[in-house]
Amino acid sequence: MSGPNGMLYGGDEIGALVFDPGHHSLRVGYAQEDTPKADIPAVIGVGPATHIPEAEEKVPDGNVTQSNTKKDELRYYIDVTELHVPRPGMEVQTYMKDGQVENWDLFEKMLDYCYSKVIRSPSEHHPALFTEAVWTTRPAREKLAELLFEKYQAPAFFLVKNAVLAAFANGKSTALVVDAGASQTSAVPVIDGYALVSAAVRSPVGGDHLVAQAKHMLNNMHIQMLPIYSIQSKEVIRERERARYTLKTLPAGLTHTWQQYMLKRQYEDFVHCVAHVSETAYDDRSAASVPGLHYEFPGGYHQDFGPERFKLSECLFEQSLGAPHLVCAAAGACDADARAALWGAVVASGGGACATGWLERLAKELAGRAPSAHRLKVTAPPAPAERRFAAWIGGSILASIGSFQQMWISSQEYDEGGKGQLERKCP
Amino acid sequence: MADILDILDIEHPGASEITRDSIIHGDKVKKKYVTTKAVRRPEGMHREVFALLYNDNKDLPPLLPTDTGKAYKQTKAKLGMRKVRKWVWAPFTNPARKDNAVFHHWKRASDEAKEYPFAQFNKQVSIPSYSESEYNQYLKSEDWSQAETDHLIDLCQRFDLRFIVIHDRWDKAAFRDRSVEDLKERYYNICSILSKVKTNPWSNTVTMVNGEKRIYHYDAEHERKRKEQLKRLFDRTQEQIDEEQMLLTELKKIEARKRERDRKTQDLQKLISRADSGNSTTNNQANVTNEAAMPTNTVSNIVRRHDRKLHKKKLATQQRPVRTVETVTVEWSGIKFPEARGTGVWLRSQRMKLPPGVGQRKTKAIEQELRLMNIDIAPTPTEAICKHFNELRSDLALALDLKNALASCEFELQALRHQYEALNPGKTLSIPPSICNTNADGEAKPLGEIIDVVGSPGALNSTI
Repeated sequence: MSGPNGMLYGGDEIGALVFDPGHHSLRVGYAQEDTPKADIPAVIGVGPATHIPEAEEKVPDGNVTQSNTKKDELRYYIDVTELHVPRPGMEVQTYMKDGQVENWDLFEKMLDYCYSKVIRSPSEHHPALFTEAVWTTRPAREKLAELLFEKYQAPAFFLVKNAVLAAFANGKSTALVVDAGASQTSAVPVIDGYALVSAAVRSPVGGDHLVAQAKHMLNNMHIQMLPIYSIQSKEVIRERERARYTLKTLPAGLTHTWQQYMLKRQYEDFVHCVAHVSETAYDDRSAASVPGLHYEFPGGYHQDFGPERFKLSECLFEQSLGAPHLVCAAAGACDADARAALWGAVVASGGGACATGWLERLAKELAGRAPSAHRLKVTAPPAPAERRFAAWIGGSILASIGSFQQMWISSQEYDEGGKGQLERKCP
Repeated sequence: MADILDILDIEHPGASEITRDSIIHGDKVKKKYVTTKAVRRPEGMHREVFALLYNDNKDLPPLLPTDTGKAYKQTKAKLGMRKVRKWVWAPFTNPARKDNAVFHHWKRASDEAKEYPFAQFNKQVSIPSYSESEYNQYLKSEDWSQAETDHLIDLCQRFDLRFIVIHDRWDKAAFRDRSVEDLKERYYNICSILSKVKTNPWSNTVTMVNGEKRIYHYDAEHERKRKEQLKRLFDRTQEQIDEEQMLLTELKKIEARKRERDRKTQDLQKLISRADSGNSTTNNQANVTNEAAMPTNTVSNIVRRHDRKLHKKKLATQQRPVRTVETVTVEWSGIKFPEARGTGVWLRSQRMKLPPGVGQRKTKAIEQELRLMNIDIAPTPTEAICKHFNELRSDLALALDLKNALASCEFELQALRHQYEALNPGKTLSIPPSICNTNADGEAKPLGEIIDVVGSPGALNSTI
């Protein structure tokens, strides 16, 4: 903190941490930084402790968190370097459900990992700011506060709705935030930094749905998607030729959930590379006119994808489930006085908004639907990383603002008022 | 240099002992400027060229730009003279917080501890408060229970009177759903009641004007209506919007046409009154004013009816190429000769000079008429001749204008007749002989009919 009157650009950093738990990944990092320190998949591998690869025995304090309470110990494998290794008996579990933390034991493991391996600093030193979905229930919020204060001894804690933070990350306090997440897409109106809970709408069409569609499409095209870990070597072949590869010898007893998870990552990669949102509703002729995109599958098979790229992403813009419809519904549910401001600041965030052409399509569809009396403006940060991490970045901004430092729920307040004050203090 | 001389065992003549002087003024001793005799500039050589060739040392000018000035030496930065100011990870308390929570941040070690600067931004809206007895005494309402009112005031405090957010967070499970206007109405009502009975210092609804309290009055009914309108505006379908847009453009067109017609009738009025004053017969006067008043009415009526019809037709069918009525511009006629002249002596013939406003063509036409009447173009300007000559020419000009107007009306009429026949093939439009007049003596015609001529295109159109 410096400057003429002790205020440098209104910022004052107090070493706070920002956690942004999502369905696809958990973002964690220091406030005032522009990107999270880590982006960890929101799944945890749970395997028997009996099997420990030798390489890790040498480093007992490696990236493995151990729970040494019971005899039949379980090991928790977190983050890609641990998780993506084929281990017999390792089940993949997620702690998220419907935008909220559901399995708190697993989530604790995740937080342990964050503090010890990512932040590498004791939790008592850092105020923690968490993001939450707009529809997070009261018990879940209170449970989180309890966890942070009682287990992690955090000096201060705060909860903010991720839509509000995404608006902040775009420099807006009033915005209509479209969050294209992994499990769902939502549209939340934000007025003066408060999310309008009753006007928020969501649909289950998200990144995961797109991945499922990709799987379906590839099945229909009779293209086999092999997980990358199963390939020992592959030969260079011509386009559309049969793949020639040798399989790796894998340990027996790989769990179904893990295999499915790895395959899903593979499909995600495919979607990420190939899927392209067309600017207008899908139309064979215009889609065919765009040059195809080459993709090589893990097995070595490769081919050009032309109109399929556009057809694939059409599922994101279905009539009543797509983002444009959600935006209209959310705006329609708001007070008439607020609508003009909301239409003027439609902010897109989330990983789904990074898809090529997604934002343009949204803008175009909204232009057709928005009342003509309003000025419509659809914005999103230009860089894909900033879109994906919009909520985290907003949290990073908020937690490092000088005038925010009075808002934290401190541990003293928690001790006095209990978790009941959470509803009042974190609207 | 001295070292080399020492090695080579050569006696250095100038080697002097180190003295206090040589240390302090060591630099200055070395600097010996060799002043050579100034070379004279050859005759005819430019000073600049000479300066390039010969400087003080008679050196050649450098091939490369060199930088030997002392500028940088003098302003040498004094680095490493002072220590860096230290930063410390220091605890601080924030007076804006009610608990005395201690957070840490980086600050300069040298900065003295002062109040947390961001605490000054901790501003809150002042919300009225009331005790239970006060509530029972003043604030009772059949529509609102006390619990509900308390909830409202609590939310107002929490969300700083952001009523849209308050409405969103309203406890719909415990209380019935209320509109933003309901909430606002209740809140401002409480404010005004409490500010009357109490002398509370909350200021956001009470303003002092000339030492007298003014309470903000919230007009809920008006706000509700306004919002209803706003909602209707937003809920329009695309067809409705398009239709409205279309109607607006139509309206603009119609208004333009109407203005056009108004101007025409006005011009005609002028013509009439002018011609009338030219006739200056008293019995005609009353007649004409009657007539003049009446036609404008009928014309505007026709225009309105015509507009409406046109409108319906346009809604029903695609716009047909209806020939718009050409403007018949009738300028003000007659010539006004300026009376008063400048001071001093002037010739009377000056009075007969046409004023500069009269155009070339008109002048020519008048002269032509005069020639036809065998009148001298420049008669002897006696007093009487001047007057009569001017009057004559003014009347001539008016007659010409009327003739022109008649001709253009005639043309209009014929054009519309052709249009009518084109649109309704096989039919012919019989024009009543009272209108149809081709013998072109405008002055002889009754004045009302001239107006009818102009009014008729509208009437004709409306019958199509």
